[in-house]
Amino acid sequence: MNKYKCTFLLGLEESLEYRVNFALSLISTFFPIVIQTFLWTRIYNSPDAVIDNGYTYPQIILYSLLAGMVSKLVSTGFEYEVNLDIKEGGLNKYLIRPVSYLRYRLSAFLGKKVPAAGILCAAIAAAIIVAVTALSMSLTLSRVVLFAAALCLALLLNFIIFYCISMAGFWLTEIEKLYGTISIVLVVLSGGVFPLDIFGSLAARISVILPFSYTTQFPVNIVNGKLSMTEILTGMLVQAAWITALFILARILWNKGIRRYISAGG
Amino acid sequence: MSIIELNHLNKTFDYYTKTPGIKGSLKNLFHRETLKKEAVKDVSFAVEEGEILGLLGPNGAGKTTTLKMLSGILFPTSGHAVVNGYIPWERKNEFKRTFSIVMGQKNQLWWDLPASDSFYLNKCIYEIPDADYRRCIDELSGLLDVRDLMDVQVRRLSLGERMKMEIMAALIHRPRIIFLDEPTIGLDIVSQRKIREFLKYYNEQTKTTIILTSHYMRDVEELCRRCVIINQGSVVYNGELADINRLFGNKKLLSIKMSRPAAREDLERYGRLREYAPNAATLEIEHDKIADYSHKLIEQFAVVDFTVTDIPLEEGIEIFYRKEQQVSLVTP
Repeated sequence: MNKYKCTFLLGLEESLEYRVNFALSLISTFFPIVIQTFLWTRIYNSPDAVIDNGYTYPQIILYSLLAGMVSKLVSTGFEYEVNLDIKEGGLNKYLIRPVSYLRYRLSAFLGKKVPAAGILCAAIAAAIIVAVTALSMSLTLSRVVLFAAALCLALLLNFIIFYCISMAGFWLTEIEKLYGTISIVLVVLSGGVFPLDIFGSLAARISVILPFSYTTQFPVNIVNGKLSMTEILTGMLVQAAWITALFILARILWNKGIRRYISAGG
Repeated sequence: MSIIELNHLNKTFDYYTKTPGIKGSLKNLFHRETLKKEAVKDVSFAVEEGEILGLLGPNGAGKTTTLKMLSGILFPTSGHAVVNGYIPWERKNEFKRTFSIVMGQKNQLWWDLPASDSFYLNKCIYEIPDADYRRCIDELSGLLDVRDLMDVQVRRLSLGERMKMEIMAALIHRPRIIFLDEPTIGLDIVSQRKIREFLKYYNEQTKTTIILTSHYMRDVEELCRRCVIINQGSVVYNGELADINRLFGNKKLLSIKMSRPAAREDLERYGRLREYAPNAATLEIEHDKIADYSHKLIEQFAVVDFTVTDIPLEEGIEIFYRKEQQVSLVTP
């Protein structure tokens, strides 16, 4: 068996070892979604509200639902492990074996993702079906296919963003305390909480340039009907371009960082 | 031809200090003085194929740093090393297939999964054919007596069991060279002996070259014929283990127990008195006088028990650990 396939399967196995943890992390995904749904409902129902954010009520509800689940789907967590590997010398075991750390981390990340991804995809599909039937949203099959493809790219993009961030561990020993903050900021920047265009056109213009919105807002807006076909295809090209650029950056950071690695302990 | 060669290897680490308390922390916030620690200084030695070399030295002497450079984990500050024809820190995949490193204080197995999963991952990483892999696991698990533990989560294993698994994981790709950094640290005497016996057998069978560091002299005495001692980053001894105690001249220890107390002065006439109780004594006696003196002792005192032993290896090594550079003068 290929070494990365094996790592993928081990990651999958590992995520199944801890069932309660797994269940709780899924529940924690749906909690904020419920809060947001209530919040938006209140705002849209209040008699004197002037809503001028470009989203209709069904669109914003579907957005909140999907964005919450998509940002969970693309979320990482391996950055803490990378940091520990650098700080406490766990990197040794990869350096001495004929294996690429980046590809190893990617395989393990994808493997660990499988169970959660299965459930989230089912939930996303359910949300879309409800939206189409109950809220009479129009959705073509081609958009669903493009959404799925954009999701795969989003997963890869978020992985490489966090991989690059975790490389900072070579320079800053205590980076892991920042990860909590960084991931909250990035969830907001990616549109995981609110669509970024409600912050105004400047925010929207900036978010188009940065890679973050392509991890959550972009795929969600494909199903939401906010994007034209041209915008979707351009967006996917931007996703691919960011992935390539960040993979190159990751390689550079690794090569520089590894010379600073001191393999502490033992 | 030596399989491992180190030439004038150096490694310097940057570090900084902090005086205790908040004042020191605040001071460090604005200005940190970078200090340099020479962890490894001008280390040169060679290892022959199939040899088990003991790499000894007190804590912080630079043993682990040396092994980390030899396995390509660390870049040296200067100097050269060749391991099995490769420069380790170039980290070529072909090189990585030829060696293994086991660290007693580091875990290389997947913590949350059984060891068998980690073995399988290693099989995939090193691309070992199925049949070879099965044969290898079967043989190693038998020798190390861990057959029924391979499916237990690694975090639930005892330290000794885990160490055996670490060693197994390191041998799956049949490396030609193994670096063992304190493989018996913290283990009980039975586990220590088991691992020692295994290493001895494995080395005899496969002619694998081993560099071993350990603070347990039993490990070193039973496994290594030759050792390199480093202290404060520099090599202070490189030679046969048996020659270390030549530092003490050609002496042996003679211990006697007596049925009647003997006077200290009477015993001291035979040699330096190391231990003394009225009914028992240990004397340091020149090797060639042992026969003669033992007769005399038996005649003079009411000896009921009598043993002759070598001066423990620890004592010779301790001198190298304590002294600094000047000791290297006696290196053969």
